[in-house]
Amino acid sequence: MMSTQFPWLTTIILLPLAASLFIPVIPDKQGKTVRWYALSVGLADLVLMVYAFWKHYDFQNPGFQLAESYAWMPQIAINWSLAIDGISMPLVVLTGLVTTLSILAGWKVTEKPRLFYFLMLVMYSAQIGVFCAQDMIQFFLMWEIELVPVYILIAIWGGPKRLYAATKFILYTAISSIFILVAALAMAFSGDHVTFNMTELGLKEYSLTFELLAYAGLLIAFGVKLPIFPFHTWLPDAHGEASAPVSMILAGVLLKMGGYALIRMNMEMLPNAHVFFAPVLAILGIVNIVYGALASFAQRNLKRRMAYSSISHMGFVILGLASFTEIGTSGAVLQMVSHGLIAAALFFLAGVTYDRTHTLDLDELGGLAKKMPMVFALFTVGSMASLALPGMSGFVGELAVFLGFTTSDAYNPTFKAVVVLLSAVGLIVTPIYLLSMLREVFYGQEGKAVAGEFLLDAKPRESFIAACLLVPIIAIGLYPKLITQTYDVKTVQIAAHVRNSIPLVAGKSPDDLAHFSVAPNLSISSPSRLLGIVK
Amino acid sequence: MDFATLVAQLNTGAILPEIIVITTLLIVMVGDLIVGRTASSKWTPYFAIGGLLTAVGALYFLWDTPTPIAFLGEYNSDNLSILFRGIVALSAAGTILMSIRYIEQSGTALAEFLIILLTATLGGMFLSGADELVTVYVALETLSISSYLLTGYTKRDPRSNEASLKYLLIGASSSAIFLYGTSLLYGLSGGETNLSEISTQIGAAGLADSIGLVIALVFVIAGIAFKIAAVPFHQWTPDVYEGSPTPVVAFLSVGSKAAGFALAIRLLVTAFPLVTEQWHLVMTTLAILSMVLGNVVALAQTSMKRLLAYSSIGQAGFVMIGLVIGSDAGYASMVFYLMIYLFMNLGAFMCVILFTLRTGTDQISEYGGLYQKDPLLTLALSICLLSLGGIPPLAGFFGKLYLFWAGWQAGAYPLVLLGLLTSVISIYYYIRVVKMMVVKEPQEMSDAVKNYPEISWELPGMRPLQVGVVLTLVATTIAGILSNPLFTLANDSVTKTPMLQQAMERPAIQVSREIDRTPINL
Repeated sequence: MMSTQFPWLTTIILLPLAASLFIPVIPDKQGKTVRWYALSVGLADLVLMVYAFWKHYDFQNPGFQLAESYAWMPQIAINWSLAIDGISMPLVVLTGLVTTLSILAGWKVTEKPRLFYFLMLVMYSAQIGVFCAQDMIQFFLMWEIELVPVYILIAIWGGPKRLYAATKFILYTAISSIFILVAALAMAFSGDHVTFNMTELGLKEYSLTFELLAYAGLLIAFGVKLPIFPFHTWLPDAHGEASAPVSMILAGVLLKMGGYALIRMNMEMLPNAHVFFAPVLAILGIVNIVYGALASFAQRNLKRRMAYSSISHMGFVILGLASFTEIGTSGAVLQMVSHGLIAAALFFLAGVTYDRTHTLDLDELGGLAKKMPMVFALFTVGSMASLALPGMSGFVGELAVFLGFTTSDAYNPTFKAVVVLLSAVGLIVTPIYLLSMLREVFYGQEGKAVAGEFLLDAKPRESFIAACLLVPIIAIGLYPKLITQTYDVKTVQIAAHVRNSIPLVAGKSPDDLAHFSVAPNLSISSPSRLLGIVK
Repeated sequence: MDFATLVAQLNTGAILPEIIVITTLLIVMVGDLIVGRTASSKWTPYFAIGGLLTAVGALYFLWDTPTPIAFLGEYNSDNLSILFRGIVALSAAGTILMSIRYIEQSGTALAEFLIILLTATLGGMFLSGADELVTVYVALETLSISSYLLTGYTKRDPRSNEASLKYLLIGASSSAIFLYGTSLLYGLSGGETNLSEISTQIGAAGLADSIGLVIALVFVIAGIAFKIAAVPFHQWTPDVYEGSPTPVVAFLSVGSKAAGFALAIRLLVTAFPLVTEQWHLVMTTLAILSMVLGNVVALAQTSMKRLLAYSSIGQAGFVMIGLVIGSDAGYASMVFYLMIYLFMNLGAFMCVILFTLRTGTDQISEYGGLYQKDPLLTLALSICLLSLGGIPPLAGFFGKLYLFWAGWQAGAYPLVLLGLLTSVISIYYYIRVVKMMVVKEPQEMSDAVKNYPEISWELPGMRPLQVGVVLTLVATTIAGILSNPLFTLANDSVTKTPMLQQAMERPAIQVSREIDRTPINL
């Protein structure tokens, strides 16, 4: 996989990290130079990645591109190897966009600005590294690097319960990420040669029990990040307490690391186990959707409400991954990108509101529409996108997931009907809680916290950030092909990959595994043998 | 027999580094006598560091030496011993860097401290290569007795006295137990003192299954476990660490511990191959206990030195994973981890000393809000602690990764899982300190930090401390990412050490490795 061309991905990953090392020595007292420095680094990296992908990335090629691989620690078979494909490319660009915008959103950080921008740039590198890593240890390394910056970002610049939230975040993530390392070691040492390369690991033959164990471990690790019920409890705290720029990254990018890793590892490397776990995923997906939506409805804090709505929306990603269809998988990726944009926009606007009102309590807010018409308009657009209004990206993503799941031939009709019906309930609750949120914040009587106060409307900087996020949302909503064409070939390949293993698993599946799940009703010769289900 | 042939016969060149250390020691001692206390403190520490670094340089030339055996089999200067001697010497050099100001401030004589420290270093270096029971014991006692003296060095401080007495009492009894174990070995082997001869003779006499051998093993392990502070032989650690002068603690936790591990490898592998199963079992137990107890009890500490004491117990537990799996990669990962541990632990202690020098306290709560007053110290201590906790991309992460990698390769799944779990626990207490320093807002600053003196490196002895902090900070940051040479070094030290290679060829070890395998058949 050695490549002779310019190492684009290494440059893109290391640029923010290298730049962050200069932050302590920049001559600056008030943090004014530092923020311009950080912003220009972020922007430069974004431009660099867009340029590299524009010039060197072939949208029709489902394989890995821009690949580079260097021996890093050959003694223990670890390489520095990077590559991108259809799944990671949009997410890398999303990371670039959201992180750069969140640096701009953090323009008013006056407390310890150097540390703030330093950590932001380190996170930038780590996130891109996660999406590009092709070596499992390298992936784990990048995954862990982001841990401490997020912890400190929440713990210093967060809300009143920030320490609790930060500690909860780090404990959840650190404990769950043990499973990544264990799975990596287990997979690397199984078989005849030791390797951590993801492609090679995917080609290894594992026993089914082994695959199921490894899959379960990875599912826990990524399920905490995504988050999947019941590993989600850190999220409302972390997202609710973090400051707006950090919430933007948390909701916009970090959650996608979980979804991305599920596709990259669980589906691509362990397709046989995916056949068994897919029904479980589907059920967890519905739980996420319905539970997230209902819990969101009950929140009296603006950001916590959005945090729970994130949980609900990520349920669609899980559902899409469990669908075994091209369109469902494609929908899952689209939903990730779309939610990244929407959640970033909403958390940013919540931050804008908080800057003026100094409260997130829905009981104390109200009647802001007249005072801040611009914020109101932007907030409404964001909420509409979030509740999947046709013409917005959220709609396309969720529709694709539904379509994928209903057309899936891997499940029996009853199961499909129940899944779709229940998630539709979630879809109905979504507008209720989002619209009631709008009503409580912007309509009606002026709330306690804002009555009689003069509140400044959105400044050009703030409108610009929101616009940067909302324009792609609408563009994708109107013309989904804009984004889907970048990864379609890849999702088709992945769907085919996991579907291929259905007959394979059915062929050799032992009967004692046959009773632990309810689904798939497979379109192959002896599906009932697989899971003991009669059609 | 003239002198030259004697030197050639004894292969004196193999202990050249130790000779350099002895010469340095003598010059420091005599020089101090001649020029007097105040004048000597200006040059002796730098001279001692120079001597130690020269010794490390000499070690470089001994690498891959074709004739490692010296003094008719009493001493073995193989590659493994060279690495361990390097670690001991470097830890002493680092200790001197951080002690100059500390000793100055405590009002005691610097040169005497250096003399005792160099003697301890000498003991540690000899212990790393000692291949014969008497040499082992003499080296061990040289190290131990000078350590007792070091812990009580600040003689006006009652806590230092208490630490010294405690260390002496427990140390002396563990020494006695160790000596009893070796005397059993001597008897069982029919009067052999050379380590490899002992095992041959015991095997030949058909005593491989004798209960005496197992008792000898247990006694010897008790002595070693005391040196490396493995649970349940760790009780001295927290009190001694808390009471002793901090530079001494740094040396005990790095140099002395490394020497203990060197002894453990050599003695257990060469003298006890007949009971490999048993010593693997005992060491596994010690490793598990150390990892769990060290890391869990560290959670509750309020004093920084006690925290580091318990953390070092836990760290020793991680290193023992490498020892018990007994594969090439296992020993190499041990050595690799100790090399990295050298940087990060010395770095952490330097920061603690710096903070104590400026504020006079080592309570964790007093670190609150330090970021505002001293960013460099905050950065260095945070990096060292996070590295100890195994956060990537710092050096400690790669050290642990290699240990767990080797453990998994050898099939020691439960040990690796426990190691992973306890290292997550350790992240919690390390990050608690980082949180204290970085997260606290200006109004939440502790009293010590509120009254933080103006940062000045001008006082005598501060400059070396600054150099030490920066060096360890840089090393801890990049030694992980650029660890390729260290990996090669660690691997070479194992693959090119005949003793370990022979041990690995013996079937007894193969059998015992099966024992470590768990019933989980993936």
